[in-house]
Amino acid sequence: MSAALVLGACSNASNDDASPNEETSTGQIADEVIVGSTNEPTTLERNVGGSSGISEALTRNVFEGLTSINDEGKVENTLAETIEVSEDGLTYTFTLQRDVLFHDGTPLTSADVAWSVNEAIGPNSLSARASDLRVIQEIETPDDRTVVMHLDHASASLPFFLASVTIVKDGDKENNSENGTGPYVLDEWVQGDHLTMVLNDDYWGEPAKTPVITFQFFTDETALNNALQTGAVDLVIHQESPDQLATFESNPDFVVTEGDSIKKWVWTFNNKEEPFTDERVRQALYKAIDREALLTAVWGEYGEVIGSMPPVSEPWFDASFADIHAYDPEEAKALLEEAGASGLTTDITYVAGGTEEIIVQQLRANLADIGVTLNLVPVDDSAWYEDVYTNKDYETTLMNHNNPRDVLWYANPDFYWQYDNAQVQELAVQADSAASEEEQVELIHSLSDIIAHEAPSAWLFMAPQIRIADASVSGFSASKNAEPFYVGNLVKEG
Amino acid sequence: MISLFLASVIIFFVLRMLPGDASATLLGVGTTEEQLDQLRDELGANEPLVVQYAQWLKDFVTGSSVSLISGSSFGELVIQRASITVPLSLMAFTIAVLVSLPLGIVSATKRTSALGAFVSAASQVGVAVPIFWVGILLISIFSLQLGWLPAGTFPRQGWDDPGEALRALILPALTIAIAMSAVMVRYVRSSVLDVLETDYMRTAQSLGYSQSRALLRHGLRNAAVPVVAILGIELGTSLLGAVVVENVFGLGGLGQLLLSSVTSRDLPIIQNLVLLLTAVVLIINALVEILQQWLDPRLRVPHGRRRRLRVSKSQVGA
Repeated sequence: MSAALVLGACSNASNDDASPNEETSTGQIADEVIVGSTNEPTTLERNVGGSSGISEALTRNVFEGLTSINDEGKVENTLAETIEVSEDGLTYTFTLQRDVLFHDGTPLTSADVAWSVNEAIGPNSLSARASDLRVIQEIETPDDRTVVMHLDHASASLPFFLASVTIVKDGDKENNSENGTGPYVLDEWVQGDHLTMVLNDDYWGEPAKTPVITFQFFTDETALNNALQTGAVDLVIHQESPDQLATFESNPDFVVTEGDSIKKWVWTFNNKEEPFTDERVRQALYKAIDREALLTAVWGEYGEVIGSMPPVSEPWFDASFADIHAYDPEEAKALLEEAGASGLTTDITYVAGGTEEIIVQQLRANLADIGVTLNLVPVDDSAWYEDVYTNKDYETTLMNHNNPRDVLWYANPDFYWQYDNAQVQELAVQADSAASEEEQVELIHSLSDIIAHEAPSAWLFMAPQIRIADASVSGFSASKNAEPFYVGNLVKEG
Repeated sequence: MISLFLASVIIFFVLRMLPGDASATLLGVGTTEEQLDQLRDELGANEPLVVQYAQWLKDFVTGSSVSLISGSSFGELVIQRASITVPLSLMAFTIAVLVSLPLGIVSATKRTSALGAFVSAASQVGVAVPIFWVGILLISIFSLQLGWLPAGTFPRQGWDDPGEALRALILPALTIAIAMSAVMVRYVRSSVLDVLETDYMRTAQSLGYSQSRALLRHGLRNAAVPVVAILGIELGTSLLGAVVVENVFGLGGLGQLLLSSVTSRDLPIIQNLVLLLTAVVLIINALVEILQQWLDPRLRVPHGRRRRLRVSKSQVGA
């Protein structure tokens, strides 16, 4: 099934310069677009953990960074007009865009940038990217438009990691600061219900198109889909219920798009726990899974089978990884026998939910074919974080990972999968200080290749990125290659 | 007061037995153990349990509790959410009472007729069907097929437009009311049946009263005593029904707040909410008791002694 691609181009390109009020008075576009999502921010603190809800709704829309990751997954300059890197790769000089104002009307200066970056890398930072950014040794601000960062070693990924650092007013100690520089100003957040943002009339860049954007949050997928069907929301940005797709596909009032995602379903083994210390056991279990059938069972014709952590959109993705441990129950049995682990019984700890249930049932059936018994241990989110993520008290676990460039987590021996491979760790260090982008791509590709063979985890498949919009809505990217959902081009006609 | 205190102890310590903590949920994947520990310190989760308990009670009483996850104040959260849940549960309760009282009486007095048999059978079905399924069914008929009513989401302006707000609550309220009526019809029916069998009803009828007049003059007041108890319980149930139904309809009420707080282990919010609901149920129970005593003075005997004592004291004082 080929899905329609809806991209930025829309009929009102000719009157882009008109103020939003004039535009609406001509009756061309609606005053408000309502985005439906199940991914509500847990907090408005910008630098807490991965907080994908807050980056999805607010980054690029309300807050901006020096750089950002665009819808194709490429790093581009945002508040930085230019970035210069010294020969040795140790000094980055950022020149800021002119005439940038915060939402409170004060101008953006280099001091604000220095303050915001220091906050994100400081000793009390709770940011998941803090350790990646601590390569920054010192930040200088020679004048109001220039920020100079001195690194302790070259880091090709710095512009990428800086995209997660959003810039707020210097010294703004409020954790729930909403004083950003983006095309929208946060209007209100009613926790558990909705978040509304209104147009920033003094925006420095290309102005956004719709006066008011509302994110309406749901905890239940069905409730979200019903709301779309009855017109209570205009667009569902993550369709997580494959079984409800058919209703929308057959209805001309809606447009279904499929794009790239970064959402990987990962079945992970506890690599420090017997018998998973033996790579043959991990490989055997991986080979026992018919991933094509599994993907079809969950998503029908959507999605993609993978064989290592990188998603399709990352430059070190390699489609041939998927064949390394292709479905082969006979070989799986042989490997298990060789490792002395025939007739193994093990647990899978997973967060109970719709898609998860389908996956674990399939895994269990596949493993039964090679004489392995899989006990299902459903838990809730919080228990998963405590037992699996924090205490590493589990045998195998299922999780969907949704962060860009997270293949590098396999270089961290303390991460919950407890995979400790010196060569992988060395490659990660080299990749970070690589002289060129090509070299970096090459190194991370090698790293991905090693894990693909050793199978510290079994990468099951990439979920498709499916969005469903009312047919009158356009101006959004079909793909999700980064956390933010940029709403600046979103319009609803009529 | 004592029950409430005991409830607080149980709520607090039972919740501590659950695995999982808010810090880990808040930080998500990708953070280090040092960061986790730091956040636990900030949130006070590293303190001894007794200290945490005392802190919680203090925060609850002074109204200074905040969510561990979002930092929002409990008071604000509850007021905003209750503006959906309380009208929803009252609507459901009212509908259920209006439907089940007459139906219950009819199915008792006319139990041999087709109508009585039908009501009785329908109530059996109503009791057996899960409440979320009723919700899904109503949505698919009245919103998706007929397009008469919204399928969920409460208007963003809240009660600024009462018409819109009420429309949003009709289907969820009906969902809860259907489940409640099914239970209540059966209780009303059996209470009325009990009354119909009593000697005084037979006497009244032998004196020439028709069955319905006898029931109106003597029976209903007596039948009401057990029914009032059930109404009290069902009023509490309508609040709990909201927990399930709000999820199906995507209404951001107290039920959804409770559910999302449990998933993220936002302990202060869970504790406060459960304690608050316990208090509401205790108050309802007290009101039920008063109402029952008014309906049937015989029930006052055990409590009467206490009351007489108080009265005599005040007489002495006077």
